[in-house]
Amino acid sequence: MPVTIPQTKYAGKVREVTIGATRAEGGTRSRTVTVGGETTLPFLLHEGEMPHPPAVAVEICDRRPADWSPLLYEAWGEAVNDPATWARAAEAAGADLVLLHLTGPVQRADGSTPTAQEARQAVRRVLEATGLPLLVFGPGIADLDNELLVAVAEEAAGERLVLGVCEDKNYRTLVAAALAHGHLVDGRTPMDVNLAKQLMILIRDMGLPLERVLMDPSTGALGYGIEYGYSVMERLRLAALNGDAMTQQPMLVTPGEEAWRLKEAKVGDGGVPAAWGDWAERAITWEVLTATTLLHAGADVVCLRHPASVAEVKAVIARLMAGGKDGK
Amino acid sequence: MPHVLFLPAQRSAEVSVGASLLEAAQACGVEIHIPCGGQGRCGRCAVVVQGGDGRLRRRSTIRLSPADIAAGYALACQSLVLGDLAVVVPPQEEIARHLVTAKHAVAVEPPAGYTVADQPLQAFFLALDPPSLADQTDDWSRLQRGLAGAYGVSGLTADMDLLRRLGEVLRSADWQVTAVVELDAWDRPAGPPRLVDLLPGRRTDALHAIAVDIGTTTVSLFLVDLMTGRVVARAADYNDQIRRGEDIISRIVYASRKAGNSQPAANSVNSANLVELQALVVGTINRLVEQACRRAGVEPKQVYKATVVGNPTMIHLFLGVPPEQIRLAPYIPALNQVPSLPGAAQALGLAIHPQATVDCLPGVASYVGADITAGVLSSGMHRSEALRLFIDIGTNGETVLGNADWLICCACSAGPAFEGAGVEHGTRAAAGAIEEVWINGDTGEPTYRTVGNLPPKGLCGSGLISLLAELFLAGLVDKRGRLNQGWPGLRDRPSLGPRVRRGDHGLEYVVAWAEETAIGRDIVLTEVDIDNLLRTKAAIFAGFTSLAEAVGVPLEAVEEVLIGGAFGQHINVEKAVEIGLLPDLGTGEGWSRFRFLGNTALNGAYLALVSRAMRQEVRNIANKMTYLELSADNRFYEQFMSAMFLPHTDARLFPSVASRNT
Repeated sequence: MPVTIPQTKYAGKVREVTIGATRAEGGTRSRTVTVGGETTLPFLLHEGEMPHPPAVAVEICDRRPADWSPLLYEAWGEAVNDPATWARAAEAAGADLVLLHLTGPVQRADGSTPTAQEARQAVRRVLEATGLPLLVFGPGIADLDNELLVAVAEEAAGERLVLGVCEDKNYRTLVAAALAHGHLVDGRTPMDVNLAKQLMILIRDMGLPLERVLMDPSTGALGYGIEYGYSVMERLRLAALNGDAMTQQPMLVTPGEEAWRLKEAKVGDGGVPAAWGDWAERAITWEVLTATTLLHAGADVVCLRHPASVAEVKAVIARLMAGGKDGK
Repeated sequence: MPHVLFLPAQRSAEVSVGASLLEAAQACGVEIHIPCGGQGRCGRCAVVVQGGDGRLRRRSTIRLSPADIAAGYALACQSLVLGDLAVVVPPQEEIARHLVTAKHAVAVEPPAGYTVADQPLQAFFLALDPPSLADQTDDWSRLQRGLAGAYGVSGLTADMDLLRRLGEVLRSADWQVTAVVELDAWDRPAGPPRLVDLLPGRRTDALHAIAVDIGTTTVSLFLVDLMTGRVVARAADYNDQIRRGEDIISRIVYASRKAGNSQPAANSVNSANLVELQALVVGTINRLVEQACRRAGVEPKQVYKATVVGNPTMIHLFLGVPPEQIRLAPYIPALNQVPSLPGAAQALGLAIHPQATVDCLPGVASYVGADITAGVLSSGMHRSEALRLFIDIGTNGETVLGNADWLICCACSAGPAFEGAGVEHGTRAAAGAIEEVWINGDTGEPTYRTVGNLPPKGLCGSGLISLLAELFLAGLVDKRGRLNQGWPGLRDRPSLGPRVRRGDHGLEYVVAWAEETAIGRDIVLTEVDIDNLLRTKAAIFAGFTSLAEAVGVPLEAVEEVLIGGAFGQHINVEKAVEIGLLPDLGTGEGWSRFRFLGNTALNGAYLALVSRAMRQEVRNIANKMTYLELSADNRFYEQFMSAMFLPHTDARLFPSVASRNT
């Protein structure tokens, strides 16, 4: 008896967003990365198109962060002391994108406050060290973010950086900087479909084309609220495919940051029950599982921290894009 | 060049073809008011054009009804001169009456055919035969005999206090007395009649009663002369209980605590906190009674009945009944259908006649009370075939949908913002309250109107709605409700001038400078206030959209939207739509589908007070209404979050706002 596999056709399509600009396009990147364009749910390639594979961004910092897991220092070695070296190491680890995180007083061992001049320098050095497109996130303190990111936007004019994170409190400053200097923004809202949509509307109302906006619905790590984030992403994507123009943005999430702040990843042998197993294996698996889960929810950009996770997640993406067969 | 003559000023100007009437007026020094800056938004520059056919082109008539246009009305800023014209500039008050979007409260009138003879309360004048050795009937029996003989009233009852005073009153009045008798009550239709008071002399004019609406935020009251059935005085004030919690849940929690302790009280009826809350609301009512009686020249002791409405929590606290079960699953109140309480005024502490009856109208469920059944009663929606939506814009955001065949209702915690509470410079809709605001889109400068045209004291509900809508349309706040500070080099407005500034609670917009106010301080709207307004409007919008969704009725199918609330005399529907408080049913004809009923709860209490039929009807309404519990419904939260935006996250729900916004 012939069996017909039911197929759903959607009217909507996720917008394509291109990160980075080559020399011909007014920047200095050796290549650009385009995400989005889906006409179906993630990896359902028999139903619709997924023209671009999800991209992996590797997170680096402008100086050695004080609050990262020892496993990450071990993995990156000396590179964590210098953003340019770290960026090259990230590229070597297989990154599609580099996420430069500007440290604030909390992440800095000496508690110093970063200056705009330092931020400009760090971005300049990373741009010179790698040809990959760049995302630049501030320390997460509203006033400081504004000060640093406005300077960064000016320093890297024309590079089509992704500036982040852009929230409802500071979107005006960041969007203005992106508009003035030819960049993109990452619009983050706390796990709510309506809030995500509202921020996209506010950003659009300021005149930034939606082809320059990533939607960041926030997430939690595996075991720490990922179900909630997953559900929000799934609903956003279904709304997008059903034609809701204000949800049709590619989605960026930060599973690396979420997974590596947990006790399971941070606390080594001795601090936790022996039954938890090998520390490094556990921590990397946590990051990989968090990231792959989010890919299934519709993530277009996943930001990771450990080089081993990058390799594993890229392999998963390759296989899923090849329809489940070995993509190599 | 066309010649334009302005009347009654008798001035004229020569202008080129295509000039606006406003320009013509300015050219010859005729003043025309343009609060919105000549953008065709406010309708305040309406003038009457004589002989305008073919000599005038109207670019926009957005504020004018077809009848107005037929009568020659035109907006001076939006009308272009093509030929010779004569233009009458009407006084401002006259223009205000022509604005189709300003909805005025319907008048409160006694029901048709009102007569005091139909009332349960009667004042019977008696000229009794003095006792003598030949007629040794005792005083009480003599009074009864007189009442039976003259008025057919028998089986009279009376309380101890009256019996003790009886002999003295009869003798000092030389046996000419007025007996105030309550013949029956809605739950004692066969009596027995009760002697409420005995007054010396002919005092049939004494008969008064009050209708009271106990709101969570505002208490309002009508003093009614039962001889004519008319409202002779009205009064309103904030509920003194506010100092023990702004919403009903915090009042319930407070009432069930032992004073000065977080533990529940052992004996909830005698809880000091419950006693305190009861005294606070009765104190508020007594203050209003005193005010209303003073204005009408009536003795508070001549008020023989009180008909009371309020949400179930307010009624429980007013009666001193422990309310905690309202808050606890399965949410069962002690009283929804309160029996009539003859002579309860004294026990409750009401400063009216101590033997007055207190009649609390029936409610539906724990969070939908007599204020809503009374509201439906006064709206008449339960008698109409047409599908209507009734929205009570108050602290508890109650909504009713239905018609003569069915009624469904819900309630949600909306907050007191539209009653002027929880807003920095909020105020009730009383004299001096700013009730309408326009903002010039070019300069950001406001123009406002206050109740009674007095120096402003603060912003009332309609003023807040109006101000938020104008700030939004003028681009001074974004869709999230945050004040724009301008962003250098990006728009043509690098700075917003002195009206937007940083205050104690973040950014704020100055509506009135200290020297023009009655309070000697700048009147401002802060971002925190805007947040409160957004939450309130979002809850109300989410309430009625969830309700409509639950029964599967699209809002467009609603033939009429009835609005109740403490807005004073008017609400501007257009502005309420612009901020997403009321549904967008389109401009022009759409606006005519809204009707503002004023304080519907109080109007309903008044009707049930003066009419036996209405008192019966309100019971039927309570029995008939279905209650939808929103806390058990995910739809509400989803709707609430999407309504936390100006006007709404889903712009398709507000097409007329979107078209004006781009």
